[in-house]
Amino acid sequence: MRALFGASLKMVVRDKQALFWALIFPIMFLGVFRLFSFDSFGTTDLLVSVQDEASPAQQALVAALGESDFLDVTVAESTLDLASAEAAIEDDTASAVVLLTSEGAEARAELIHGISDPIGASVIEAGVSSVVDNVNLQLQGGRPPIEYVAASVDAEDTTFFEFLGPGIIGMGLMNFATISLAGSLSRYREEGVLRRIRATPLPPWKFFGSVVLAHMVVAALQVVIIAVVAELLGANVLRGGIPFLVLAVLGTVIFLNIGVIVAGLVHGRGAVEGAANAITLPMMFLAGTFFPVSQLPGAVQLAVQALPLTHLLVAMRAFVEGESVISQWPELLILAGWIVGTAVVARFTFSLEDNG
Amino acid sequence: MRPRCVVSAGSSLNEDAPPVIEARGITRQYGELTALDGVSFTVRPGEIYGILGPNGAGKTTLVEILEGLNRPTAGDATVLGYDIRTQIGEVKKRVGVQLQASSYHQYLTLREILELFGSFYPRSAEAGELLARVHLEDRADARINQLSGGMKQRFSIVAALVNEPDLVFFDEPTAGLDPDARRDLWQIVRDVRDSGATVVLTTHYMEEAEALCDRVQLMHAGKIAAVDTPAGLVRSLHAPYRVRVTTGAALDERTVAALPGTSEVRHTTEGDLHVVELRAQDAPRTVTALTDLAHDAGTEVIDLAVLPATLEDVFLSVTGRELSG
Repeated sequence: MRALFGASLKMVVRDKQALFWALIFPIMFLGVFRLFSFDSFGTTDLLVSVQDEASPAQQALVAALGESDFLDVTVAESTLDLASAEAAIEDDTASAVVLLTSEGAEARAELIHGISDPIGASVIEAGVSSVVDNVNLQLQGGRPPIEYVAASVDAEDTTFFEFLGPGIIGMGLMNFATISLAGSLSRYREEGVLRRIRATPLPPWKFFGSVVLAHMVVAALQVVIIAVVAELLGANVLRGGIPFLVLAVLGTVIFLNIGVIVAGLVHGRGAVEGAANAITLPMMFLAGTFFPVSQLPGAVQLAVQALPLTHLLVAMRAFVEGESVISQWPELLILAGWIVGTAVVARFTFSLEDNG
Repeated sequence: MRPRCVVSAGSSLNEDAPPVIEARGITRQYGELTALDGVSFTVRPGEIYGILGPNGAGKTTLVEILEGLNRPTAGDATVLGYDIRTQIGEVKKRVGVQLQASSYHQYLTLREILELFGSFYPRSAEAGELLARVHLEDRADARINQLSGGMKQRFSIVAALVNEPDLVFFDEPTAGLDPDARRDLWQIVRDVRDSGATVVLTTHYMEEAEALCDRVQLMHAGKIAAVDTPAGLVRSLHAPYRVRVTTGAALDERTVAALPGTSEVRHTTEGDLHVVELRAQDAPRTVTALTDLAHDAGTEVIDLAVLPATLEDVFLSVTGRELSG
């Protein structure tokens, strides 16, 4: 059994593609994000066109946009129409334009932007829409049903890079576990290794178990290595201590299970790698790896609750911020459900008898 | 046809010893398709037993059932005295298996793969010794994808010997190899047998079965068409010789066709020359008759060849189909 585990470990470590997803890719992200100055990063030049300076709604919105940290607001000297707004974006006068118009008592804010990268686009869209939401609440008077202020007070304690650290670790775990395990299993099946193993007295589950275990051990090493790099770059993730590391490794089980499911359902190595990427890539962007889920539009915010990485990152960040294990029970319960659920599905979708 | 048994040089074939494989009525169906249809045969200790047939004849399915990689729909078999239905674990400990496609871990070295597979068995041979047996000792630290096709095949053969097996299955061991590499491999297979193991190999190369096997089982469409030594199979042919005569002028086709004890007559030309090729029961008589015919036609025999019939001819005569078809 020790020889088998040792061989499985060697195979993971020698797989350059697996190592890329496990270490190089996340560390690259950490390095690249560290290069940016986060005070100016995420700041967008916003040109605001006011149609009716007397409108209280328009006044309030201009003021609220001006208070926003991530917007560099200029009020246009004259009222713009759609064509002149687009022209302003095209000649780089501004990255985005908000056109404020009024019809009777109703005001309307229209956002036009020329930001082509999906993260930037969703940040500006979500950001402006949340400012509009807040102004709407204020103008309607009364207390908002949900105290939003508490969240922003919390965020002040955490720098963007500190926020990013656990996200990058979670992303690295997910990419490595799902892509590498799905790839290995499909390779073993297609190259006939599984079949060759079945011709020996070794029970196939032992072989399977050693492959999964090797991935878990590498994932644990991966967490430690990325955490140390992130710490050195100033992300302070090691404040999360043992609960953080244990949670990260347990969370890996979900993504390993997903890897097994992918290898079971999809046949053909290219297709398996494609499917694994199709699962991990959107999850990487939507589950709050780089930006808080709270910056997503409302409906998307609800939808991303269905992603396991979302909950893993919430709990990992809570541990880094010094929250107790008990306090995270709802997230931990959801993650436990994911572990069990994906394990059951994996059990019924992947067969060791498979001949490819 | 009754199976015959021949003791060849270097083998320890023993007709009285219990059989290494005894298969009775092995049948394998995949839905409507019958891959194997009531296959029964016996393999004796120390022989190289060939299973010869075209692609799709059921060769691989048959050995996979005996290796425990597949299950028969009906029938039963013992391998080294163990029932394949109830004691396949014991079978797996004692047999060596080489599968058709190269099937080893691309991220391990040859030595590591042999050590890994050795760890699955109660007893195992040393990796260095194994590699030396197939002249790969200087490649111990190479990986599979750094090997040539012939080296890969040699490695997959030696990986089947890691547990010092009493019986080894080779499935199409020389498929896709050039003639030199193929002959190297034949010698390795003979060495395996000479070291005391019984060998069962599948092949669709007629000359491989002829050169290598003590006995050959011809398979066609999931059934056994014939079992005998290669020589015995050829002798069993009604017309066991091929005669080829080249003359300066054409021989009368009707007279040639009427020659007693001949069949499968083919007339061709090679430039100005005329070639008659046929199968003959009695080679000397047919050659004399053809020489006389040439004389009568006022020409002479320029070239003459008498060849024994091959397993190809046997296969054709037993199944009505070409082996390579």
